[in-house]
Amino acid sequence: MNIPVGAFIAVSSILFFIGVAGVLMRRNAVVILMCVELMLNAANLALVAFSRRAGSPDERGSVFVVFIFVIAAAEVAVGLAIVLSSYRNRPTVDVDEVQAMKG
Amino acid sequence: MPLGPFGLDPAIWAVLRLLLAIVLAIAVVFNGALAQIYLERKVQAIIQDRVGPIHTGPWGLLQTFADAIKLLGKEDIRARLTDHWFFLAAPAIVFSPMLASFVVIPFAPGVVGADLNIGLLYLTTLGSMTVLGIVIAGWASNNKYSLIGGLRSAGQLISYEVPQILSLVTVVLVVGSLSLTQIVDSQPGVFINLLLLPLAFTTYFIAALAETNRNPFDLPEAESELVAGFLTEYSGMRWGLFFVAEYGEVTVVSSIVATLWFGGWHGPWTDIHPLLGPALGVLWFTLKTYFFVLVFMWIRATLPRFRIDQLMSLCWKFLIPVTLTNLLVTATLLLAFPTEKLPVAIANWILLVFFAAAVPYLQRRRLAAIRQRLATSRLALATADRPR
Amino acid sequence: MSYDFIETILFALLTLGIVGGALGVVFLNRITGSALLMAFTFLCNAGMFVLLGAETIAAFQVLIYVGAITVLVLYGVMFTPQQDRPYGLFFQKQTPWAALFVAPIGLFVALFAFSFRDGSHASAKGGDLVPLATSVFRDYAFPFEVASVLLLAAMIGAIVLVKRDDE
Repeated sequence: MNIPVGAFIAVSSILFFIGVAGVLMRRNAVVILMCVELMLNAANLALVAFSRRAGSPDERGSVFVVFIFVIAAAEVAVGLAIVLSSYRNRPTVDVDEVQAMKG
Repeated sequence: MPLGPFGLDPAIWAVLRLLLAIVLAIAVVFNGALAQIYLERKVQAIIQDRVGPIHTGPWGLLQTFADAIKLLGKEDIRARLTDHWFFLAAPAIVFSPMLASFVVIPFAPGVVGADLNIGLLYLTTLGSMTVLGIVIAGWASNNKYSLIGGLRSAGQLISYEVPQILSLVTVVLVVGSLSLTQIVDSQPGVFINLLLLPLAFTTYFIAALAETNRNPFDLPEAESELVAGFLTEYSGMRWGLFFVAEYGEVTVVSSIVATLWFGGWHGPWTDIHPLLGPALGVLWFTLKTYFFVLVFMWIRATLPRFRIDQLMSLCWKFLIPVTLTNLLVTATLLLAFPTEKLPVAIANWILLVFFAAAVPYLQRRRLAAIRQRLATSRLALATADRPR
Repeated sequence: MSYDFIETILFALLTLGIVGGALGVVFLNRITGSALLMAFTFLCNAGMFVLLGAETIAAFQVLIYVGAITVLVLYGVMFTPQQDRPYGLFFQKQTPWAALFVAPIGLFVALFAFSFRDGSHASAKGGDLVPLATSVFRDYAFPFEVASVLLLAAMIGAIVLVKRDDE
């Protein structure tokens, strides 16, 4: 246990910002979903690090990781369903070109 | 300074132990594959009234060695339009989780790579990683048969993971531990878990057949419809690695069955001698495991292949409801009688008999529905064809 | 002689894996490559969890992210076009200004991250299976049930969204 908890938090924040950059830069909807998953993973890492090293002895923090797993699975299933059904109507997954609902 | 076994520094011993475990696991996997291919050929030959391999070596024993040497010597062919890195990575992605599974399997008292307290969870985790390799293999081959095989495999493996895990959870509930060593310790003597949870065993066995892509669930590589499924573009030792991984997966699943329901290494005379006892334990464990490997082969020689819709409806409409019912009943009974195991056993046997009796009835109803549909469509055809 | 340095080496390797994999996800133009590197990042993250002593979470991480989500994403990748448009638009004249503004934020985040100290309750070695199970099924049983309802709703929603109408 010679690695300080701060190191894990630093890795987590780097991962989170890479995910943010991906969401902002990429136009492919599937890749954007992947980058959102990366951000959720960064949150997982931070939660586990806090819960194992700095939290209360009963590890409440890890519970939220379980909930994040659920959210991530739900998000990727619904997200891909939306992407696929949109792709079926218009043959593109480029989020800049999907603007049918623009006013 | 504390000393490990044989008077070695604990850190050096840990590294040595790791190396030893890896070498042993690879030896077990590859020799097991050689032995199982020979067994498979012989068993199928016996069932189909043939003689099987007889020419190479005594009783054809060296046939698989000859085949392995042939595979190793083959040219490494790669079609030009394959996805280079994925094509190379897929066999490794399928192979390595299977190899890592052997870490937690208890071969005998004390003969276990690592007694993890989440052993069973670890095994299911590694089992789920195989899907990735197969999907990537199907994708990277750039071949429609491969792609269909890979997609089928993804759907099949993800679906059948659910009943598999639910059946395992039933055992974990009864034993109260995820550690495989403790599960083995909980069933000494003749009171093995099979007597307690026969329904969970049945559902797990069916799901395990599907998880290992064995008949009657070998749709991803159905040779009569898909050439060889995701294996179509592979040849030489890359193909061999997939094959070895499949047999290794069969071994892992069989040893899970032997551990969870058949008492693992327990058997007569395992405690007569501090060194001979574990050796006998390994022997009992191997015999139990290979019995189930033989059952896998027997099933392969007996049953025809499913169609993809039948496969899915078997999983989602039959296996998952059954395992969920089983889980619910077991959990309720364990809450009601925390110390007694007899009610769980009785309930499980009753459920098994009930569901086994329900199968012919369901089958008859389905056939009647199909006949009805056929009759109506024929009627429609007849009316459509009538000259005006 | 102590062997604590092994842990540090593992941490460094896993950090490299996570950062490299994530950068690959963002910058690779081949989407299949992105998906595979995403799986690799998830695996490295599971390694981090093991390093933190949370092996149950690590197992769930591999089971859910690598075994399920990556396969689902690969499905999505296979059904959609694989090439992304070049993203040259984003590396234009504003880059130095953006770097100037981002640097203090990054510095602040780094300082903030390293200001955390290990708490007094640094967890015992015993693994996280029992505490996790106790919290999920005792203290957080109701949120857990709500989460499963959410999952069911998401599953039904996904099926309805991709179901063809022509049947």
